[in-house]
Amino acid sequence: VEPNATIREIRLMFHKLYPRWYPARQSIKLDPKGKSLRDEEILQHLPVGTTATLYFKDLGPQIGWTTVFLIEYTGPLFIYFLFYFRMPFVYGLDERFTSSPHPVVNLACICHSFHYIKRLIETVFVHRFSHGTMPLRNIVKNCFYYWGFAAWLAYYINHPLYTPPSYGKKQINFAVIMFLLCEAGNFSIHVALSDLRRNGSKIRKIPYPTKNPFTWLFFFVSCPNYTYEVGTWISFTIMTQCVPVGLFTLLCFIQMTIWAKDKHCTYLREFKDYPSLRMPIIPFLL
Amino acid sequence: MAASGSGGNRADNGYGSQQPRRRKGPGALATAYLVIYNVVMTAGWLVIAVGLVRAYLAKGIVPSSVVLTAFQVMSRVFLTWAVTHSVKEVQTEDSVLLFVMAWTITEIIRYSFYTFSLLNHLPYLIKWARYTLFIVLYPMGVSGELLTIYAALPFVRQSGLYSISLPNKYNFSFDYYTFLILVMISYIPIFPQLYFHMLHQRRKVLSHTEEHKKSE
Repeated sequence: VEPNATIREIRLMFHKLYPRWYPARQSIKLDPKGKSLRDEEILQHLPVGTTATLYFKDLGPQIGWTTVFLIEYTGPLFIYFLFYFRMPFVYGLDERFTSSPHPVVNLACICHSFHYIKRLIETVFVHRFSHGTMPLRNIVKNCFYYWGFAAWLAYYINHPLYTPPSYGKKQINFAVIMFLLCEAGNFSIHVALSDLRRNGSKIRKIPYPTKNPFTWLFFFVSCPNYTYEVGTWISFTIMTQCVPVGLFTLLCFIQMTIWAKDKHCTYLREFKDYPSLRMPIIPFLL
Repeated sequence: MAASGSGGNRADNGYGSQQPRRRKGPGALATAYLVIYNVVMTAGWLVIAVGLVRAYLAKGIVPSSVVLTAFQVMSRVFLTWAVTHSVKEVQTEDSVLLFVMAWTITEIIRYSFYTFSLLNHLPYLIKWARYTLFIVLYPMGVSGELLTIYAALPFVRQSGLYSISLPNKYNFSFDYYTFLILVMISYIPIFPQLYFHMLHQRRKVLSHTEEHKKSE
């Protein structure tokens, strides 16, 4: 192997010897307990002598992130429709294909669908992933979670005995406005983040606020996309006044807080001049 | 948490309900004893829990699986409060006695184990007991638990305990009866995992001690 070989080339060579283990599945490390080496690393820049010992670990079958997101997001989109259109196996034969007298139910369907369609569009056109793949078994777990919750909350919103929000039109209108603002905000952040990696580079850079007012949240927060996402789900909870939606919102909040804290710590570690005012997900608080 | 639960159990219904109002004197005494036992157990459990974490981090012999232990604690609390305490009719069942006995013996051994570990003077007998008696006590406890939940089912169905139905302004429904059945079903995948985990730990811990003895 040449001293100026990259880890990516080593992975390709390894794959030729062992066709079963394609590059995305290989974890190559200098130390059995250490971190996996990145594709761009060059052999001679690593702390090795004239001969290097590399350790290989099989990460298991992998699946591309784009594929993952497409599957995870298409599910809830169509599952919700099963309940909205009241398929006979859902609420019984008597209620099949009926529709709800409450306008908020139609509105909820539009918002829910809009949310997932937006996510699908972003997955295809906007997102730039730093890792190419994730382990295959995660997708079963994730799908259970996303699809299961979508079914659970769709069941109650589209139920014949659904009760509209207690404060009526005021509550619904407020929720719709909040929903639209948060979706716009979330989209703006995704675009801003994707612009940081315009030429396909995988280097991490600090995101900064742009002329778009929605991105000004970057002054206060490291991951405003998560902040806006939580806002979206809170608005959906207010709109539908439904406990399962509230529970889903809570779980989303917890999960995203964990991700945001991770991201925040990574930023702090990599950049000495990282803005000190910023919190991970909630301005000044969390 | 689990011990104060089972201790509280006994104070509420273990023996008190089987001998309703026969004697007032010993009743009060027994209650006082059990209350004190409870308080001591709770305080002791807190201290032990903190010490336990430190001991395990230092020794690293027995890496406890957080998820599986969490399941065990959850099932204890659930059985005590959500089933036995909530469904009064079930409190005189023999199955309650079965799992309370199993838990009591297990917990006494476990607390002695932790206490001695912290004092760095662990008699082999205690370690052996902890990692061997579970072979009988665990199935005993699980049988008691399952029989108790099963006994509670008709009363839950009848009274609609902890259940809420549509329509309501929170657009939520929950059927405790179905939930209990799902809990019973969940024992099928979870119990073997916990049991084999303990068997695996047993092999690891008891053989580790053998090596220690040999090297001495």
